[in-house]
Amino acid sequence: MAEHTVAAFDEDLGQISRLISDMGDLAGSMVGGATKALLNSDNALAQRVVSDDAIMDARQRELDDRAITLIAKRQPMADDLRHVVGSIRMAGDLERIGDLAKNIAKRVGTVGLSATPRDLSHSIDAMAQLVLIQVQGVIEEYAARDAAALAKLRADDERIDVKYTSVFRELLTYMMEDPRNITACTHLLFCAKNLERIGDHVTNIAENAYYVLTGTQLPANRPKQDETAMSAPAA
Amino acid sequence: MSQMLSPDMTIAAEAVTKAKIEVKNLNFYYGQSKALKDITLSLPERSVTAFIGPSGCGKSTLLRVFNRIYELYPKQTAEGQVLLDGQNILDRSQDLNLLRTKIGMVFQKPTPFPMSIYENIAFGVRLYEKISKAEMDGRVEQALKRAALWTEVKDKLNASGLSLSGGQQQRLCIARTVAVKPEVILLDEPASALDPLSTAKIEELIDELQADYTIVIVTHNMQQAARVSKQTAFMYLGELVEFDRTEKIFTSPREKRTQDYITGRFG
Repeated sequence: MAEHTVAAFDEDLGQISRLISDMGDLAGSMVGGATKALLNSDNALAQRVVSDDAIMDARQRELDDRAITLIAKRQPMADDLRHVVGSIRMAGDLERIGDLAKNIAKRVGTVGLSATPRDLSHSIDAMAQLVLIQVQGVIEEYAARDAAALAKLRADDERIDVKYTSVFRELLTYMMEDPRNITACTHLLFCAKNLERIGDHVTNIAENAYYVLTGTQLPANRPKQDETAMSAPAA
Repeated sequence: MSQMLSPDMTIAAEAVTKAKIEVKNLNFYYGQSKALKDITLSLPERSVTAFIGPSGCGKSTLLRVFNRIYELYPKQTAEGQVLLDGQNILDRSQDLNLLRTKIGMVFQKPTPFPMSIYENIAFGVRLYEKISKAEMDGRVEQALKRAALWTEVKDKLNASGLSLSGGQQQRLCIARTVAVKPEVILLDEPASALDPLSTAKIEELIDELQADYTIVIVTHNMQQAARVSKQTAFMYLGELVEFDRTEKIFTSPREKRTQDYITGRFG
């Protein structure tokens, strides 16, 4: 992309891109840290994730300020306008990913993983890996300006939904088998739900990034495989 | 250039309302120099169309073809067709006085006549119509109201048009244009010499006038083009690069040259 006649405009846009990239890295580190803390009952790591959320919030406020100032000063058009507005929206989703990771981290102390069946941690671990790949992937593909990869990444959220449905059923089974599992499994259920929600925020980011890059929206309908809402009343 | 026009153009320019002006394969020359290159586009009726582009791209030239004002100058020639309601206005048989009553023009700098506010409007009407004093009073009042100037000048209609502020003078020029009941109004950077408040009043006026008139505006202010127009044409070096719905042009233009221009990456 050619440079703007006003060089400071490029600098302002560059700062917004850097903030999105920083927030994306931080989101990946928080999601990875929160699940690792959960699986290893690592309270110190959990505390670090909780405190990282304050950094995430501060980054989002800085991005909002810079984006609004840029709009007021430079009246961006076309791809610049999409870039700025898209960044504001992506930052909102990244901030929510931080909140959800923090929520997982806050449960680490109360879950007491030793009380839960070993198989379960494998399922949550596998789900967390899928989510982490998505979080890291979306920021990488956006930085690489690869719209096709973003469209694919959005469709890949389906795998997280499928995994969530299986974790949900597994947790119900463990709770029915032994009521002493209920406290830990309930917390883990929330953790799994948080991971699933993080996946949804990643799809929002992918959709926004796709629009920023191409100027066109992805089709509204995406395959949905989370069946827990349908199976919940029966269960 | 027609192959470069967006498929959306047909939606913007033809499907919504009928075309008021159709430009077909228009070339324009200043002496030997070709200023417009094979321009084809159609402007919908009762709608605002903006022409944008860097200085010297031909946007004002195109505007000047629409009322053949270029014929006042030697060695300026147009080839091709410009159809107003299906009639080619470039035909030699075209009555220029009649054409200019149908197509009014407002310029960058306000150009009130050195006469009273009342006479600024009555003068043009008298050229084309013989009407009574009472009818003329009504016509002047109506035109000033249409140009959102009436409340500011109704008590000083005999004051000189030159005594008004720049923004008021420009609205007086629009009132003068409206008074002769045109069908099309051409605005050549009508607000570029005005302060923001006067500019806002002109833009509000354009918004109201489009209910009754086909409006074409040339502007260097892209935010203004984005605010006031329904469709926008981007021109560069005498070519029509892109013509589409205004939202499309300013959010995701198809052509790289359009994108570079509106985002300030040109040259």
